[in-house]
Amino acid sequence: MKKDKEWDWEVRPDEGWFRLQFGELIQYKDLMLSFVRRDIIASYQQTILGPLWVFLQPMLTTLVYFVIFSRIAHLSTDGIPPFLFYLPGSIIWTYFSDCLNATMNTFTQNALLFSKVYFPRLIAPLSTILFQSFRLSIQLLLFLAVYLAYFFFHQAANPSAWIIILPMLVSITACFGLGLGLLISVFTARYRDLDNILQIIIRLFMFATPVVYPISMVPEKYQLLFWLNPLTAVIETFRAIFFTHHTIDITHLLWSAGSAVTILFAGLILFRKREIKVMDTI
Amino acid sequence: MSNVLIKAEGISKLYRLGSLDANTVKEEIRFWLNKKRLMDSNNDEHISRKHIWALRNIDFELEKGEVMGLIGRNGAGKSTLLKIISRIVLPTSGRIRGRGRSSSLLEVGTGFHRELTGRENIFLNGHILGMKKKEIEKKFDEIVDFSGVGQFLDTPVKRYSSGMYVRLAFAVAAHLDPEILILDEVLAVGDAAFQKKCIDKMREISSQNGKTILFVSHNMQSLRNLCQRVMVLEHGEIADIGKPETVIPSYLKNTPQQKLRQEFVDSKSAPGNSSIRIKKIALNPEYIGDSKCVDTRTPLHIYTEFWYQGLESDQLRLCIRLFNEANDCVFEIHSSSAHYKNGLINASCTIPGDFLNDGSYFISIFFLKNRILPIFQYESCLSFNVEDYRPDEDWHGKRMGAVRPDFPLRVQEISHIQTRQSALSANGKLIEYP
Repeated sequence: MKKDKEWDWEVRPDEGWFRLQFGELIQYKDLMLSFVRRDIIASYQQTILGPLWVFLQPMLTTLVYFVIFSRIAHLSTDGIPPFLFYLPGSIIWTYFSDCLNATMNTFTQNALLFSKVYFPRLIAPLSTILFQSFRLSIQLLLFLAVYLAYFFFHQAANPSAWIIILPMLVSITACFGLGLGLLISVFTARYRDLDNILQIIIRLFMFATPVVYPISMVPEKYQLLFWLNPLTAVIETFRAIFFTHHTIDITHLLWSAGSAVTILFAGLILFRKREIKVMDTI
Repeated sequence: MSNVLIKAEGISKLYRLGSLDANTVKEEIRFWLNKKRLMDSNNDEHISRKHIWALRNIDFELEKGEVMGLIGRNGAGKSTLLKIISRIVLPTSGRIRGRGRSSSLLEVGTGFHRELTGRENIFLNGHILGMKKKEIEKKFDEIVDFSGVGQFLDTPVKRYSSGMYVRLAFAVAAHLDPEILILDEVLAVGDAAFQKKCIDKMREISSQNGKTILFVSHNMQSLRNLCQRVMVLEHGEIADIGKPETVIPSYLKNTPQQKLRQEFVDSKSAPGNSSIRIKKIALNPEYIGDSKCVDTRTPLHIYTEFWYQGLESDQLRLCIRLFNEANDCVFEIHSSSAHYKNGLINASCTIPGDFLNDGSYFISIFFLKNRILPIFQYESCLSFNVEDYRPDEDWHGKRMGAVRPDFPLRVQEISHIQTRQSALSANGKLIEYP
C-alpha cells in the first residue's frame, strides 16, 4: 500500500523494502488483542488443570533438570541453590523457544486465514509473542515466589538493585525469538523440510545456551563463542541480579541487546517484504 | 477527482503448478533469471509447462455506488482476481489503485474459533474483517438480532448447528461498513429464508448507502437484480463486460456444462451395444420471447434417434429419468412396451414450461427389453441449466421444491368486513353483515 495524492491504496507486484508501516499495525491493535484472547481461552479449553499448566510446565522441567543435571551428572550451579539455578534458565529458554516455534511457522499455521482475509500479517506473530509474554509473566511470578521462599527461609539469595533491568532481559529474549522466527517463517512457508531440521537445531541450541550449566563451566577459549549467543548474557544476567555475588557483565549485555534488535529489524524488513508474496507457495 | 473507486490496470497472475521437490530449486533459479523476459514478452512459449496464467491483462474500473457482478466457470480466475483486489495475493504484473476502505468477504466465518462462544466470535470475526472494537459494540445487538442465535450467545460455537454457525458468521459480515465491499459467493449459504434476508440486506447496502460492491455469484437472478454491470472471465481474461441483460444470456448460451445435443454418425462407434446404438440425442428448448436461454418458462423437447436390433419377439421400452444437481431423480417417464422392427427409431418427449425449478439438471436414458430387462443405459447424456425467471416479483431467493409448477393458486374474497364509517351506505343507512 502506498499513499498517493489521488489514491488511498495501491496493489503492485512487488512490495518495497523498509515498508514497516507501524501506523497500519496500530490500526489493527484490536485484532491483535483479540487473537491473544483467543489463544489464552483456547489453550486451556478441555484441560482439567487449566491455567495451572502455566506453573506446572516450568516446575516439572526444573525438577527434571534438577534430578538429571544436578543429582546425577553433578554439574556445577555456581553456588546457587540448584532449584533456583534451573528455574530462570528453563523459564527464559521456554519463552524463547515458544516464541521462535510459534512465529517461524506463521504462514503455514495461518494459511487458511491468510488466504481469505487481509490484515497486516505481522499481527499474527506479534499476538503470539504477546500471548507467550503473558505466560512468561505468570511464570516469573512463580519464580519470585520460589525465590522469596528461599530468601526468607534459607537466606541463600541476595537480590541486587539491578532487578530493574529484568524487563530488558525479557525484551531481548522476545526480540531475538521474534526476529529469528520472522526470518525463518519466510523460508518455512516455501520449504517445509526446514521445520524438521530446525526442531533438531533448536534442541541442540539449548545446550549451547547456559540453561543447565553456568558459563563459568565453559573453557576459557570457547567462552567468546558462547557470548555470541544473545541468550547467554540474558540468562547469566538474570541469575546475577538475583545473586549479588555474581557480577553483571555490561559489555556482553549490550552485545546481546544489540544483536537481538538487529535480528528483529532484519526479520521485520524481510517479513514485510515477503508477507503477501509467500501466499503463492503455501 | 473522478468517481472511480477502483482502477485495475493490466493485472496478470502467473501461478506455478505441481508440487515442490528437489528439482524446484533449480527451476526456480532458471525462472528468476528469465523473469524479466517472460514478463516483457507475455508469451506462453517462454513459460515452462509448470506455470499457468490465472489472469491475463485485466483492466477495469469500478465507480462509486456501482455494483458489479463477476461470473465465469471454475478456474476462470474469479477468485484470483478477488484475492488480488483484497491484497491476499500479489499480481505478477499490473496494478490496482483504490480510494476508501475496502473489505473482503471471501468466506463466511473466517477465523471463527470452535472453542470460543458466539459472543467472543462476533468480536474476533469482526476484528478479522477489519472492524474496530467500538464499531462492533455499537452494532452488537443488531448483529445478534440478524443472526437469530441470541439465546446461544454464550455457548461455544462448536456446539452450534451448521446453520446457526453460518447465520452468525453472515450476520457479522452483513454489518461491515466499508466503502468498497468484495464478496465471493457468500450468498449461497443458509436456508431459503436466510438467503432472502441476506439478499435484502445486500440490496439495502448497495441502494441506500451507495456502496460499491464487486461480487461473484452463480445466481443469475440475483445478479440481474443487484448489478449494474457484469464481468465475465474466461481463462483469465475478460470475455465480456456490460449490462446484465445482454451479458448474462450470452454467457449462459456458451456455458459448456450444458450438453444440449449429441450426434453420432457411425453406427459402429456410437454409444450402445449390439442391440442399441445411439444416433442422436438432443434437448431442444422452445425459447420464449427474445430470450436465448433456458429459464423456468421454457418448454423443453427431448428428442432421440437410435438404431435398434432385436428379436422379433422382444418388446422394447424407453425410460427417461431427470436428475437435479443433488443427484435426486425428479421424475421418470416410461414409454409403453411394444414390438419394433429393426432399424432407425426415434422417440420424443416434452417437459412443459413452468414446471421445473431453476437449477442444473441432467438426463439419463434407459432401454428395457420385455418391460423390465435393462439392455442399455446412457447416463447423463444431456445436461442443462434452468435459469430463474420472475419478471415482477420482489422476492428472488430460490423457491423451495424439486419442481416449480405454475398451478394457479386462486385467492378470492368471500365477504367484506368494513369499518363502521365506510359501512354507511350512500343514503346514511347502516349496512349490517352477519
